[in-house]
Amino acid sequence: MLTVLLSIFVALTPPIDTLPPAYAKAFKETLPLEKVASPVSYLLPAELKTEGVVGQGRLSALVPSLLIPEYGASLTSTIYLRGIGSRMENPSMGLYVDGIPIMDKNAYDFDWTGIRFAALMRGPQATLYGRNSMSGTLVLQSASPDGTTHVNAYAEAGLAKTVRTGATVSFGQHVLTAGFKYNAGWNRNEYKGTLCDPYQGLSLRWKWEQVPSGKIRWSNSLFATLSKEGGFAYGLYENGTLHPVSYNGEGSYRRISVIDGVGFHYTGDSFTLDGTGSLQLLSDDMRMDQDYTPENIFTLRQAQNSATGTAEVILRSQKEHWQPSTGVFTFYRFNRMDAPVTFGRTGIENLILDNANRNIPEDIGYLSIPDDEILIDSDFGIHTFGAALFHESVFTLGRWRLTAGLRLDYEGGVMAYDCLANLHYRFFPTMKADKPLAVPYRGTVTHSSGLQVLPKLSALFEASKVVSFYGNVSKGYRAGGFNTQIFSDILQSQTMMALMSDLGVYLDNLPASVGAGHTRYKPESAWNFEAGVRLVKDHFRAEATFYYMDVRNQQLTVFPPGKSTGRMMTNAGASRSLGAEAELDWRPGEFHFHASYAWCDARFVAYNDGNHDYSGNRIPYVPAHTAFASAAWRHSFNAISLNLSASVRAYGPLSWDETGLLQEPVHIRPEARIALSFKKWEIWLRGENLTGRTGRNFYFKSVGREFFSLERPRNIILGISINI
Amino acid sequence: MKANKLFVALTALVLMACNKQPEVIVPQKADFKGTVTVEYKGEPYDNENIEVKFTPSEDGKTASLTIYKIRFVPQMPVTIDVTIPNIELTATTTEITLKCDEVIPLAMGGEYPRYKVTNLKGVIDHGTLDFSLNFGDFPTSFTGRQLLK
Repeated sequence: MLTVLLSIFVALTPPIDTLPPAYAKAFKETLPLEKVASPVSYLLPAELKTEGVVGQGRLSALVPSLLIPEYGASLTSTIYLRGIGSRMENPSMGLYVDGIPIMDKNAYDFDWTGIRFAALMRGPQATLYGRNSMSGTLVLQSASPDGTTHVNAYAEAGLAKTVRTGATVSFGQHVLTAGFKYNAGWNRNEYKGTLCDPYQGLSLRWKWEQVPSGKIRWSNSLFATLSKEGGFAYGLYENGTLHPVSYNGEGSYRRISVIDGVGFHYTGDSFTLDGTGSLQLLSDDMRMDQDYTPENIFTLRQAQNSATGTAEVILRSQKEHWQPSTGVFTFYRFNRMDAPVTFGRTGIENLILDNANRNIPEDIGYLSIPDDEILIDSDFGIHTFGAALFHESVFTLGRWRLTAGLRLDYEGGVMAYDCLANLHYRFFPTMKADKPLAVPYRGTVTHSSGLQVLPKLSALFEASKVVSFYGNVSKGYRAGGFNTQIFSDILQSQTMMALMSDLGVYLDNLPASVGAGHTRYKPESAWNFEAGVRLVKDHFRAEATFYYMDVRNQQLTVFPPGKSTGRMMTNAGASRSLGAEAELDWRPGEFHFHASYAWCDARFVAYNDGNHDYSGNRIPYVPAHTAFASAAWRHSFNAISLNLSASVRAYGPLSWDETGLLQEPVHIRPEARIALSFKKWEIWLRGENLTGRTGRNFYFKSVGREFFSLERPRNIILGISINI
Repeated sequence: MKANKLFVALTALVLMACNKQPEVIVPQKADFKGTVTVEYKGEPYDNENIEVKFTPSEDGKTASLTIYKIRFVPQMPVTIDVTIPNIELTATTTEITLKCDEVIPLAMGGEYPRYKVTNLKGVIDHGTLDFSLNFGDFPTSFTGRQLLK
């Protein structure tokens, strides 16, 4: 492959294409991206537009080893990168927007109107980027003021009444961006006869940058999103048949997210000082029919109000052969969560009464609950806090660039839970009337990640001005936390025990259950060993990487056995990811070719859930391959340009569960775009998922039943933009 | 004069002491722990470490016995709490006897006629509780000692 790539260079003589300085400052590295000993994929504004990257999900396969399936709702943000990921709680990929670390996964998924640059560094980036940057870090940068006044506005409309529109106004030291997105929904809820996943959202961004002197730069970035959507388009999977979406409860998600970050940069004679601070507020409300059927079993509401503060200071020194960076980081987050679960009549009978009466001999009697609904109310107050001290030194020795880094990271948390179940019951034939029963469950649990020691060693050798070889060893970690979603199971169990105790009946074989003490899960950590080669010449850039990741205490979402209603994060033991990645970007003349490919073999090394040993099996949801290829041609005549592009992205196969018995074949999604550009205008027509094939993109179990969701169908989008 | 008064007082005290009679035991709440033996198909079936709560009425004439987590037959997949109300008490200076000819016990939130109690006889004597009765068709007995608090 290397020989092939090198031979291509012979014919290339276009000018040097480097990353614009405005985007280079999005990174914490002291080196330019070409000199960093980690694989990096990045998209400039034109590529974001051409590939229709309007959110994180559109990066799937475009970035090697990355899959972000779009299902559920905006809070879902399931990210798999290099075989690492999970559906809930902390993400395995860090996200920085304008230098601000996004601390809440519920805020990860937003409309990228106003985003001008995206880069994803793969592999652990914990030394500089900290918690959760275990499989990689996504860095986004919005438009920055450049002192001029200009306006960029766009509008596009597609199938399913998809509408996106937005405008960015830049003047003086300010950039204002507003975006609106709407779609009527893609999936019909057969029970209700309506589309279940409509979306409407508004995003607002204000960025201010001031350079009062050559040495000082101030900035402020305020970002707010408001969204209201449906979601949870999950169809029942029975005997090999996937049924249409059909549920009777409410499925919705509303979110308000406000993030404000302040940046400070000082350039001294021999050093630079960077400081950032942020305040991140999120208020959301999710309502879900958690049995996803027309039956009246149980529903969940999960409303969060969280506030997070972060602060970071980095001191850098620029010496000829030594560039050290030393920094401190701290954060505090408080999340008030209200998560009531309501059992309907069918749920009371199937999940509560059936379980209880199964264990009571008929000749003794039977239990009855007359309520139409049982509310199990759960309130949580979760405090999370952390601090880190880090250092990274880059040594330049001739053609060698050696990097040594270390981060000491501590994180802890306290969760206060206040749960209450209220119901009436009656035992036949002994009781003559219904009796009220209130079951409180209150307490506090704590967790600590301990002191995480996150080292990094890397070396990059510039074999020539074109070719670099690199290798690195680094460790990353994903924070631990608390399982709140298992509390519905805990409360069911507590309620049943309290009821039986009140009744004076004691079952010999109590159903298995966990208590609040079991709701904490440990941090996950990964050692990464990788070697790569990078070729950069003029308008050609190529990179190939081989990696091995050793993951300990892997966090996996599991469902307790039986007709359980909750799900929980567990530390599954150990796994490893072995993979290779390649990416190529070539822009000869009026053409632009881009391709990426990744192979990932992610398997459990040790995972026994108590019933089965899954060691050696593939980690679920992780595609064995991701691939992307695009070709674009731009031809200008007079003041008009014709832009044609076509691409295809593919990923798979993958396993849907730990057994590996339920598999998903490779998904292939071709796309195409045609655009006419004038001096200030551009109109375009873009087609996504042109084959119209809707493969399955998510699987889970609930109450012993299996469900799938499907990818979005074909979409044809017509758009127009203006630059003034 | 003073010596006379002191003599009279001491004499009265001695006479009072000589006239004191043994007092009748006043029934008090108490918890006992012991073994319940149920005769099942002619064989004794022991429930060990069973707690029994003795709760007298305010006037001390009746009491209830609550037997916790009893299993009447080995095949029962559950244990239950059973309360026997309206037990007649007779207290003497040395013991309390218990007696109940027939009563419907309370279990699982109400009356439980299936295990009607008949022919209950028992005694509380020096920190021990012994009683026997029929739970429906099951002859049952308990022997246990008072739990110290």
